[in-house]
Amino acid sequence: MDIFSNILFGFKIVADPLNLLLCFVGVFLGTLMGVLPGIGPTAGISMLLPMTFGLSPESSIIMLAGIYYGTQYGGSTTSILVNIPGEASSIVTCLDGYQMAKQGRAGPALGMAAFGSLIGGTFSILALMFLAAPLAQIAVKFGPPEYFSLICMAMVSSVYIAGGSFIKAVVMIIVGLLLGTVGMDPILGRTRFTFGSGTLIDGIGLVPVAMGLFGVSEVLMNLEESLERVMLKVRVKNLLPNREDWRRSIGPISRGSILGFFLGILPGGGPILASFVSYAVEKKISKNPEGFGQGAIEGVAGPETANNSASGGSFVPLLALGIPSNVVMALFMGALIIHNVTPGPNLIEQHPEIFWGVIASMYVGNVMLLFLNLPLLGLWVRLLKVPYRILMPLILLFCVIGSYTLNNNIVEVIIMIIFGVVGYIMKKFDFEAAPLMVAFILGPMWETSFRQSLIMSGGRFSIFLLSPISLVTLLISMFFIVVMGLSYYRKAKAKEIIV
Amino acid sequence: MTRFYMIPFIFWILLSFFAMIFSYKLDLGSLHNPGPGFTPFLLGLLLLAVSLYPMIRYFMKKKEADETPNEVCSQVNYRKIGFVLASLLGYSFLFERLGFVVSTSIFLVLLFRGMGNSWMSVLIGSAITVFITYFMFTFLGVRFP
Repeated sequence: MDIFSNILFGFKIVADPLNLLLCFVGVFLGTLMGVLPGIGPTAGISMLLPMTFGLSPESSIIMLAGIYYGTQYGGSTTSILVNIPGEASSIVTCLDGYQMAKQGRAGPALGMAAFGSLIGGTFSILALMFLAAPLAQIAVKFGPPEYFSLICMAMVSSVYIAGGSFIKAVVMIIVGLLLGTVGMDPILGRTRFTFGSGTLIDGIGLVPVAMGLFGVSEVLMNLEESLERVMLKVRVKNLLPNREDWRRSIGPISRGSILGFFLGILPGGGPILASFVSYAVEKKISKNPEGFGQGAIEGVAGPETANNSASGGSFVPLLALGIPSNVVMALFMGALIIHNVTPGPNLIEQHPEIFWGVIASMYVGNVMLLFLNLPLLGLWVRLLKVPYRILMPLILLFCVIGSYTLNNNIVEVIIMIIFGVVGYIMKKFDFEAAPLMVAFILGPMWETSFRQSLIMSGGRFSIFLLSPISLVTLLISMFFIVVMGLSYYRKAKAKEIIV
Repeated sequence: MTRFYMIPFIFWILLSFFAMIFSYKLDLGSLHNPGPGFTPFLLGLLLLAVSLYPMIRYFMKKKEADETPNEVCSQVNYRKIGFVLASLLGYSFLFERLGFVVSTSIFLVLLFRGMGNSWMSVLIGSAITVFITYFMFTFLGVRFP
């Protein structure tokens, strides 16, 4: 089938009333989570993943994808109106968006964020359509050494992106890989670290770990502070940007679309990186860089376009190679596995309804989001006033239900609580959970590729250097490690930091 | 950087010994035929190396290290956190014994009230939440006790 026939097939999947409803529910919930600070796409997708257990795989991914790119739309609302980013990918939008709101231009800021998101999202879907299938055909030829090296690069990139302490991020990767060894040995079928527990034979569940680390721990952190939000008392009017706004924004939107998409593909990349890089680029090439931070519409248009474009780009490595590029994609991978779908280069061929259905749903979802974000702005603004003391018990309830319904086993809830406490303590000591989560999900695949490679080569490590793809990806990983190591060494020498 | 910040690394070192000891008891195998203990042993060794490094640096730089009081514990709201964790554990204990509706109602009443909401909003909010979540998840094919 050619691409045109495939996309028609995808629209046929989306046209199913249930899938249309789920797409709407996904983008609605995603926008809601984007608007509400304290609940990010990672925690949100973890909490809502159990709602998809009774659905078909394509319906589940349609809804979860809607949540993911919906959060990118919603995050800009609080950034512009309250100067609090709803999501990490909307942090830079605070810089100029809030200034625009203070100048009485909240409407054009919100409008341009929504339109930029639509354009960026549409671009990334088109690119995904044309790029993923050819990439998957190349990836079919990958063997264990190539997969091992690609996964190493994904993990190294997540350390690079984590920022903060290099040593702590490396510790998190190793701990994540160790947690992934609990359960059945993937090659010989022997149990490891189960200590007689029937629950642990299948390994530690993805959902309880994700909910604990990102949901429960976030709640515990938020208990420390009072989340009183000072709402800007402005009347939001005139949501349509004027001609001058469009003239200034068309460049940032175009650049943000391309930049965002390719940064989304990169292992460790995604919307957060894309929004920061877009802002930096726009400021660098602007004729009036001093205007940035004072209400420059370019500072809203570029990053908001880039973060939405990146959310589409993030799907490329997952759907084409079966390797998630960031922690949210790792959760998607977990969702596919829970639905008995093996992510990998054969996914497009074996499950075209998932690939083309999700792509078509993204077109539909992006249009829904434009109508949700602009006319319903008043609703989102009112939601900002919901106090955290009402949200918090609801978040915990969803976490418990989600963990329990995985296997109707209360032990999963206990695991979630344990990881909630662990995640909280980790946050207090500045250990980021994202690298741990990426390594935890990729661990079994990483170990299988590693051991299979050694079996194939008779114990020789040179197998990883003999394949060109494996060699190149390992060199890229080494490059990142050297850059991070040098940066750490320089900082340690200058400031005498220890970690 | 106070000695308090070394505590996690002590934990990771203990975890690395745990991983190495228990994976050694599984079969390590050989390089050309790695056993089930091979990878966790290797990871334990790596974790030990990475965790020892900051500890060694701390003891080497101890005299120059900034020993200002740590801020990790100062912002911890022990009462609220203890309350939330106790509620979660109690809810887990009662969930299968009392069923979804009763245990969830108790859980929500406790938490809403514990967070400072008025009794009226606690009771109404809990009832609505239990009703909506029960029917929403049941509609999606989830089974509750």
